Amino acid sequence: MPPSLQRLNLIGQAPLITLLVLCLGTALLTNRFLSPLNLTNILVQSSIMAVIAIGMTFVIIGGGFDLSVGSTVAFAGCIAAMTMVKFGLAAGVLAGIGAGIVIGVINGVIITKVGVNPFIATLGTMVLVRGVVYLMTGGAPTGDDRLPAAFIAFGTARLFGIHYLVWVPAVLLIALSWVLRATPYGRRVYATGGNREAAYLSGVPVERIIASTYVWCGGLAGVAGVMLAARLQSGQPTAGEFYELTAIAAVILGGASLHGGEGTLYKSIIGVFIMVVLGNSLNLLNVDSYWQRVAIGGVIIAAAATDRLRYRQ
Amino acid sequence: MTIPAASTRGVSKHFGATRALNHVDFEVLPGELHALVGENGAGKSTLVRILSGVHRPDAGEVIVDGQLSAFDGPRDAIAAGIITIPQELRLVPALSIAENLTLGDPPLRRFLGVTVIDRARMRQDTQTQLAELEFVPDPDTRITRLSFAERQLVAIAKALRRRCRVLILDEPTAALESREINRLFAVLARMKSQGTAIIYVSHRLDEVVFVADRCTVLRDGRVAAVRERGAFDAADLVEAMTGRAMAEIDAEPLTPGAVVLEDVTDRPDAVRLHANEVIGLAGLLGSGAGSVLRRIFGIGDEKIAMRRSGAVRRIASPGTAVRLGIGFVPDERRLGLVQNLSVRDNILLPSLDLLARGGRLDRAKGDRLVGELMELLDIRPRQPRMRATLLSGGNQQKVIIAKWLARQVGVLLLDEPTQGIDVAAKAQIHALIRDFAKRGGAVLVRSSDLDELAHICDGILALHQGRIIDRLKRSEGLSEKRLQTAIGG
Repeated sequence: MPPSLQRLNLIGQAPLITLLVLCLGTALLTNRFLSPLNLTNILVQSSIMAVIAIGMTFVIIGGGFDLSVGSTVAFAGCIAAMTMVKFGLAAGVLAGIGAGIVIGVINGVIITKVGVNPFIATLGTMVLVRGVVYLMTGGAPTGDDRLPAAFIAFGTARLFGIHYLVWVPAVLLIALSWVLRATPYGRRVYATGGNREAAYLSGVPVERIIASTYVWCGGLAGVAGVMLAARLQSGQPTAGEFYELTAIAAVILGGASLHGGEGTLYKSIIGVFIMVVLGNSLNLLNVDSYWQRVAIGGVIIAAAATDRLRYRQ
Repeated sequence: MTIPAASTRGVSKHFGATRALNHVDFEVLPGELHALVGENGAGKSTLVRILSGVHRPDAGEVIVDGQLSAFDGPRDAIAAGIITIPQELRLVPALSIAENLTLGDPPLRRFLGVTVIDRARMRQDTQTQLAELEFVPDPDTRITRLSFAERQLVAIAKALRRRCRVLILDEPTAALESREINRLFAVLARMKSQGTAIIYVSHRLDEVVFVADRCTVLRDGRVAAVRERGAFDAADLVEAMTGRAMAEIDAEPLTPGAVVLEDVTDRPDAVRLHANEVIGLAGLLGSGAGSVLRRIFGIGDEKIAMRRSGAVRRIASPGTAVRLGIGFVPDERRLGLVQNLSVRDNILLPSLDLLARGGRLDRAKGDRLVGELMELLDIRPRQPRMRATLLSGGNQQKVIIAKWLARQVGVLLLDEPTQGIDVAAKAQIHALIRDFAKRGGAVLVRSSDLDELAHICDGILALHQGRIIDRLKRSEGLSEKRLQTAIGG
């Protein structure tokens, strides 16, 4: 293999290497990092963000951007909790996910049919949906102790020793990676994000493809909202704030390009782990929480910088 | 003896394992137009980039006005009076002509103690300068409202504002029509008489023969030949560029088959395409030749119905056109390729629905198809997983054609299929077009290269202002001259 190719591959694996170095460094500095309790914690903390990041990866591969996922998480969680109290577990879960899909469809239509820039369109829905959540709940948590026991159990119990919450992104990762890699639809998402005009001139229905990425993103934010409600044992109108920024940062850390056409789900999830492990290790090392923000911001910029370096080659 | 305005001595440049230039000696004299030709990848661009300070040579010297120069970047080259006009003009579309022209060094005045731009003088300067190029627009016109040829004049005028010893033009006529080309040549002649040295990079060999005082041919990073005016013709250049004589294209007349696509309404630009037939569209800029292609592919301003193999269908989007077995090769390669996808994914993009089995792609079948097509079209290198953007221009164009061969379309619409492509690849693409027709395909091709149309077409439609004004047949004899007269250029 020529040396240039080796270098390229190494940069392609930068997210994984970063994560491993981070874990190794923390493990050397504190023995609490590798304790089963802490590792379980990291997995559970990552699970909800991972689901959101999967949806965000669809949008970013398609050349778009979605700021509304944080609000959608709260919206879906509150809808799920309110419906569940009246109509039972299944109806609540479906209503929560459905609520997310509806937001996704709205984003998709505004962006493709009306032609509003994705940044502005989803900034609008982000604020609007958050407002709706407060109107709906009066600003107070909903559901609380009236939620079904099975739902609460979903937020805490384990299957084969692993939390249900962790199984959700694991299954989604496998299924949706297959969709992106092996179906005509998946290849069209990459082509549309890579060069919308060229894809259109090759007969790809680009508007429908782009809209569909927002539907995935909204729907998965809905799933994340339901998961979060189960974990918090209520629908929280304030839930999910800044989730959109964490999710976007994780996807970019995972090597997806904001220009579209590039990104893989598993690397986005590695990006989520990098964010969570970084926070976790700074906590374990008793770093001031103000400094934690500085560190996380620095990591995001470093990730974007490696992206530029890769392009320059 | 005249001192060259700029020259290189033994210049070499490597990119990784590729040797782009290998001990190249090159010079351009004051008042000389020196053409630089060669196939894609022969090293023309690298040499130009070294002269304009973008790249530094690994070995060898760059000499400007007899002085050894080491450029640290494009800035240094510009300061030394070497100005490059690239194919993509670097103008700011949203600003006016005057603002663009004076962007680097606007005329200033003091107003209430503050330095402000002297707009009146800016406009006046612009007018004087453009008048020298026989171009008299309103200096407040925005760049977006100018044609490509006019923008090019603005870019040249901008270059002339600085001390310009050497002007480098990269494919300056690729997007121009013949009248505009003549104007450009007149401008270049005037600059020469004022002592400016001009380096002229082009694929259009006929033009080079016509306009160049001297011509350097590059092949595989080396100088293959240097010829004086009158001592070479286009065929000589091709031989020097490729190392072999020009292959004659096989244009044996075909017998047209059944009608495969035709307009159903009676319109001034109605077309009818037969199987086994190559039809050309000729016309000056704004003649409507391009919009005929776009309308058939469903991207025109009006969505019209056409009869395709007997059935009348409204073509509302490229999606419909593709399902009807129509393929389109756009005039810009960036519209034909998804640059960051692999060659394989690009070739299969229009055919994904045909390759799906039970919801998933039939990978093996796709790989086989891509392998066959890369072999058939001689796409190099044979690496289906390579990013499309890493291929040379000619190979990228072959990939775009391969997309439609993979889909097995019956109708191929081609817009400037060989623009900016080297001679060897051009001949291959011509052969492919003839071969496609021979196997029963219908081809509609627009080109501003009339010689090309005369070569490959069975019939040609001459357009003017959206109307077909003449129909020429191969049996009646096609030539560049006849076409020129037909389109009124």
